[in-house]
Order: sequence, then structure tokens, then C-alpha cells
Amino acid sequence: MAISSAKKKPMKVKENLGYKIFLVVNYLIMLFIVIVTLYPFLYLVSQSFTSEQAIIRGESGIIPKGFNIDTYKYVLKGEFLSYYKNTIIYTVIGTVLSLVTSAMLAYPMAKSELKFNRFLTPFIIFTMYFGGTLISNYILVVGLGLKNTVPAFILPMMISTYYVILMKSFFQSIPKDLEEAGEIDGLSKFGVFIRIALPLSKPIIATMTLFYSVMYWNNWYNAFLYLSKKQWPVAYYLQTIIRGVGAKEGDGDATSVSANIKSCAMVLTVLPIICVYPVIQKYYVQGMMLGGVKE
Amino acid sequence: MKKLKLVCLLLTASMIGSCFVACTGSEDKEETSATTIPSQIETQPTETEEQLDYVYGETFHSDVPVTYTMFFSDASWYAMQDSWLTDGIFKDIEDITNVHLDIKSYDSSDYMNNITLDINAGEAAYIIPKIYDDSAFVDGGAIVPISKYVQYMPNFVDFYNTYNMQEDLLTITRSDGNYYKLPGMYDSTMPDYSLLVRKDLFDAAGVDIEAIEKDYTWEDLCDALVKVKAYMVSEGMCSESDYIWSDLWCGNESGQGNGGNLLKLMGNSYDVNAGWAIGDGMRYDQEKDEFYFSPTTDKYKEFLKVAHKFVAEGILDPETFTQDDSTATNKFFNGQTAIISVNKSQYANFVSNLDTNLGAGNYEVYYAVAPRGLTNYSPAGAGRLECGVMISQKALDELGEEGFIKMLRFVDWLFYSKEAYTLCKWGVEGKTYQVNADGSKSLLPGMCCSGLGYANDEEGSMTDIRLEWGYAGGNFWYGHTMEEASDHFIPPVAAFVEHVGEYRDAVPLSPGLAPTEDQTEELNLIATPLIDNVNTWTLSFVTGKEDIDAKWDEYVASCEGLNSSGLVDLYAEIYGK
Repeated sequence: MAISSAKKKPMKVKENLGYKIFLVVNYLIMLFIVIVTLYPFLYLVSQSFTSEQAIIRGESGIIPKGFNIDTYKYVLKGEFLSYYKNTIIYTVIGTVLSLVTSAMLAYPMAKSELKFNRFLTPFIIFTMYFGGTLISNYILVVGLGLKNTVPAFILPMMISTYYVILMKSFFQSIPKDLEEAGEIDGLSKFGVFIRIALPLSKPIIATMTLFYSVMYWNNWYNAFLYLSKKQWPVAYYLQTIIRGVGAKEGDGDATSVSANIKSCAMVLTVLPIICVYPVIQKYYVQGMMLGGVKE
Repeated sequence: MKKLKLVCLLLTASMIGSCFVACTGSEDKEETSATTIPSQIETQPTETEEQLDYVYGETFHSDVPVTYTMFFSDASWYAMQDSWLTDGIFKDIEDITNVHLDIKSYDSSDYMNNITLDINAGEAAYIIPKIYDDSAFVDGGAIVPISKYVQYMPNFVDFYNTYNMQEDLLTITRSDGNYYKLPGMYDSTMPDYSLLVRKDLFDAAGVDIEAIEKDYTWEDLCDALVKVKAYMVSEGMCSESDYIWSDLWCGNESGQGNGGNLLKLMGNSYDVNAGWAIGDGMRYDQEKDEFYFSPTTDKYKEFLKVAHKFVAEGILDPETFTQDDSTATNKFFNGQTAIISVNKSQYANFVSNLDTNLGAGNYEVYYAVAPRGLTNYSPAGAGRLECGVMISQKALDELGEEGFIKMLRFVDWLFYSKEAYTLCKWGVEGKTYQVNADGSKSLLPGMCCSGLGYANDEEGSMTDIRLEWGYAGGNFWYGHTMEEASDHFIPPVAAFVEHVGEYRDAVPLSPGLAPTEDQTEELNLIATPLIDNVNTWTLSFVTGKEDIDAKWDEYVASCEGLNSSGLVDLYAEIYGK
């Protein structure tokens, strides 16, 4: 693919009145979207630092009233921390396993010359559209003796067909000549995969790392199905406290969780993702494009 | 091409074949033999009973150690501890009965979802407590029709016979003539939800709530609150535009989109289904001996008008029906509002929060009986049953009939004997509670339990018997006589229960209906969109978005358009009229 090295002059847009109005309106709309999306989060952060008494008085706002970090101390000394630890463990182990297995599945799928590929690939893609039912999955996991174990959380979502297809498309874009050269130099098929294909696939691996880690970090459903309370990830704990244990008919002695505790838990849960996103968000967009365009 | 045709032919043949197999299977299915619900049950002594030496009034004890699996609804506000198995309620049960309970615990917020999944996947525990509605499990065959076996349960039978529970049990009896849940049983109705008012404000406004509660109506309460608001405005406690009633259990969090507790209380007094009690809207007319659709009756219209009056007079905040519960409680704790819904368990919690925010001695509250409507019905509603226990078919399959009956006797002791009730509620005498000279029970010094109304001290130095050992939890503590059920009530709560019994009439029981599986499905098909429509209109009427008189006919027509008359016909068919 020949790329011209000559730098093109940036096209100058004629800034007439209409364009200026467009810019102003555009900026106003953008500003409105920023405020609408940012305000709830800032409110949440503010509420987590607001005293409970101020919240009861209805004084919580964008600026914390009765600023204190007691809520954070309270949340971090309780069970929250152990749920947080669980999430980190599941995310790290799950992401590594997912990357390894997905790459090992996607690479042979990318090789059209492999004998059974035209039969196997449709079978794998089939799972994207038709999954097992909840009960059959549940019976399978319980029957394998995995209930209340960490693998019960990770294994059912270890391989995402969609992500595998993204990786497959990327692997297909690697020039065959490079792989053949590796084989001529004495590399086995697996050696070519490890020594040539993977090093050339850093962009897609970075993207998949982000996708998988976010998926594990946010997942609560597998915990609801398969894990005991001590094994919960923080997302499920957060889900239960946000949903509230407010008294329903029959649960007469239930008590509500304070708003500042809910806010604090939410801030702490989304914090790692918020910290990581600005750094790797470019991969997020790239990831959707990677492999989508062939030479 | 020929091959393809052959494959298609084979597939078609196998499909038809499987249909025949399925049909044959359904024909082979054993018909559940119906049992009638007798007025008196005779206990049936068996060899097992002799072996166990277990009769009414004695403690169940197995000669050999046995293990039974049991689901457990783990409430996050008193989460289960491992120590309960070694030095708490489960250890006590094991010491007494030689039964080890293998607990399958699920968080209470997802308890029903989790156990439904387990039951449907064939992974049910033997004993399934804390069941409010068993209808989802009845047709699947995973739950034992327990009414066939209650004759082996001496404590259950004694209570049933002594307090004539037949009519109540008929309300949970299914079309096959069986009931599938062992319910918690009271000897009379137990009131719970009602209103907590700021008595100091009422007194200052010239309203003696204690004097009027005997026969006041909702209109009277509204008039009283207008006076209270006028007083609060004059004292600068609120402005004319503020509302002095912002209620909980009605909004998004727990109101279930139907107005929750408040509309249930009001509707009950108007002899209509509303709020939490909307159900499918059907109500029984004692005089005509027939069921009718209550949300389109004149009584419902009157109920709507009185509910709307509170909003129109600037008393009840219309946000009550959308807000979170904590918004309502915060306003009450902060002194912005003068009245709120309450139940027995929350009373102590509310008072504690008022102490914190307003300061003890700066206020006075009163647990008032809910007002009358067109009727003088008790806010307790109808019936003497509460949540209960199901027994899985797996227990019968795995234990065999003899072992199953033995387990039932354990269940009988655990859920229906006075000894187990006291153990589960109060703990162990001398360890957690004492029996006083007058026969009453109280926690030992240094012990507390919010569930029993014993608050911890300010330093939090006391031992909570529920958190520490698992006593006074919701999985075991069902029903029993009013005397036993009320033995922990603090005076204001006891007075409320007494006043309800004295001032209000019991709600008559509706006849039990036992729809078939198909009828149940048809009922749900009609009721779901119909009740959504009723709830939407009801909240619009109450909050004033729609004018009741102007739009009433349109509302009734919309219900008829959603086949409310079909629902009535179906009920008549099920009831046999």
C-alpha cells in the first residue's frame, strides 16, 4: 500500500456567519452533553463526601456539605474491600485466560487452508446467536462441581465469540509471507504463532485486554448464579446495595443503605475504570476498526 | 440431493416421533390424588413416631445423626456468620435434635431468584423456608403437596385444630385439592403497617390523635393534618407550599409502581384492592357471594377521591409515589414532615433516628391505628397466614417415605413447636435471655437485638444476639399465638396491636380459589396489562394529573377494553358460579 509522504495543506474552512453559528450551536450542544453526563457523577462524588446528617437534611449537592471521609473509612474497613479484592483477582485471572484462549482459537480460525475450518468456524459463530438456556448452563456448571468456585465465574464467559472474530480478522491481515519465512527458518506452527503472529498483534491484544477486563470487572450475573456471598465481586455487591434492601411487604425489619454509602461504593467501584479509560480509550475505538479493513 | 432429502425425511420422522413420545409421557403422568382440607386433622401415629419417641409437646430427637439440606435467606442487615454453625442457632438445633442442617444460603435480595433456579434445575434443598408465594412452584412437580402429610406433624395439627385454620388453609389450596406450603399461622390477625404521627405537633395544633383514632376517617385525618400544617406554618417550621406528609414504601424502591403501602391501607378500608394489595383487582362480595373487579367500582372512586384530597390540600407530597424511601424517612427524621407510614419492626428504628436528629425529648410520636374508610376493617387485612415452608420432592425421593416422615417431624418441631419458637426467637435461657418473675421474657444485660426492639447503647458495646448467634432471624420465626408473637413488643407497639384489635373489625376471608394451570395462565394474561393500566390511572388520579370525575368513564372503559369483565367471568367459572 503506497502512502504519499507529501504533506497535504490543511483545508481552510471559510468562516462565514453560518459556520460561526454552527460552531456556537455545536459547542453549546457539546457543553450541554458534558454537563448532563458529568453532573450525576460529580453529584455522586460530592454525596460520598457529604455527612449523613446533611443528606438527611436534604442538603447534598454538587459541593459536599459537612465534608468528611468517614464514609470511605467505613466502607473500606468493611466487607467492601474483600469484594474489591475478589474483583481484581477475577479480572486479572479471567483476562489473562481469555486472551490466551481467544488468541489460540482465533489464530487457526484465520487459516483458511486448515482442513476443517469451513465446518468449525460456522459452529463457533453459531454460538453468537444461539446460546444454551439459563437452566442448562446452570445444570452444567453445578454438574461439573464448579458452583461456589472461582472458575464458575470465569469459565462461562472466558471466550467471547465476537472478540474471537475480531482477533481472527486481525490475524488474517498478517502477511502470509512473514509466517512462511518463519517456517523456512525452522519455526513450528506454534512457534510462528508465538514468535511472529502475537508480537505483530499488540494492537488487537491491547484492545482485547481492555474489552475483557471491563467485561470481568462489570460482571455480576455469574456471581448471582454461581458464587457464594464471600466470593462476590464488587459489582454484584454494589448492585445489591444500589437496588436497596428497603423494606418490602414482608421484610418488615429491613433497613435502607445510606445514600452516602451507596455513592461511596459506586465511586470506588468505577474509579479504576475511570482512571484507565483516558489512557487506553484510543484502543477502544481502534479495536472496533481493527481487522475490519483488509488490504 | 437425494442425501439431503433423506436427511430431511429422517429429521421430520424423528420430530413426529418425539411428539408421540411427549404425548405418551403426559398420558403416563401420575395424576395427583386430591386431598380435601378437613376442619380437623387427626394425627397419624406411625412406627417412625414410636422409634423417635416424638409426640406433641416433646422435643424431636433423632437417634442417629442425620443431615437435611435447607435454603436460607441471608439478610444483609444481619448477615449469616460461620460462627452460627459452631456456636449459634444451627449448633443449638443440632445439639437438641441431632439434625445437622446443611445450609444453602442466598442473599435475601435475590433469594427467590436463586432458589427458583435451583428448584427448576433439580438442585432444590429439602427444606425451603421463607416462601410467600408458592404458585410458581406448584405445577412443576418439584414441591411436595404437603397437605397429604400434615397428619404426621403433631404441632401443626394441634394449632390447626385448636384455632380452626381450615378456612385460612383453603385460601392457599390449589386445584388438585392440596396445599404446597406449610404456612406460618397466627391464632388471630396480626396488624403491622400503619401510621406514625408526630404527637407533639398534633397536640400543639389541637388534635388529640389518641382520642380520635378509634373511629376517625381518612377525611378526618386530612382535616387534622390541615390544622397541623397551619400550626407548622405559623411556627415557621415549613412554608405554605411545603407538604407535611412524604411517605415511604410507595415509590420506585418498594412501591412496585402501584402506590405500595399507603394505597393498600386506604384501599383496604374502602373494601377495594389497591397499592401492594392490588393483586388482580378481584374482591369477594360477601352478600352476593361472588367476585367482582374492585378497581372500577364506586367504592374505588371514593377511595381515589379521598387519596387525592391529601394531595389537593397540600398535605401529601405527590413525589411520594416516585421517590426513594430514604427521601421520605429523611424528611420525617429531620422534622420536615409530621406523619409517615411505619411497621412494628421499623418503629424502634424511626424513634432512634428521631432521637439522633431532633434530640430525645424534643418530640413525641404515636403509633396510630389507620383510619376508617367505608368500612371499619382492620389494617391487618384478611387471613391469619404468613410466609411459610415448602418441602422439595427431592426430599421424598432421596429419603424414602419413612425418612421423609421423620424429616417432617423435625420440620414440625422446628417451625411449629413452642420450644423451637422460643429458641429461634430468644436464644438460650441464661445465655441470651431470662424469664422474669411475671413470666415475661427479656434479654440479659449486655444483650441487644434490633429485631426484638432492644437497641444497642451509644458506644455499640452490647452483643446483638441476631448478629452474633443468628437468633431472632426471619427464616424460622413464623406465626404462633398472639401471646407468643407479641412477647417482645415494646409498650407503644403492644398498645397499637391492642388498639387495632379493639377499634377495628377483622376483614372477612374470601373463599379459597383453586384455578387450574391453564386458568392461572389465562388469569395472568388478562390481569397483567389490566392491572398496569389500573395502576397508571390510579396514580394519575391520586396525584391530580387526571381529574377523577371527568376521566372516570374513560378509565372504566379502558379497563373494560382490557377485558376486566373476562376476568370476572373467569373467576365465576373457577368459583363454580
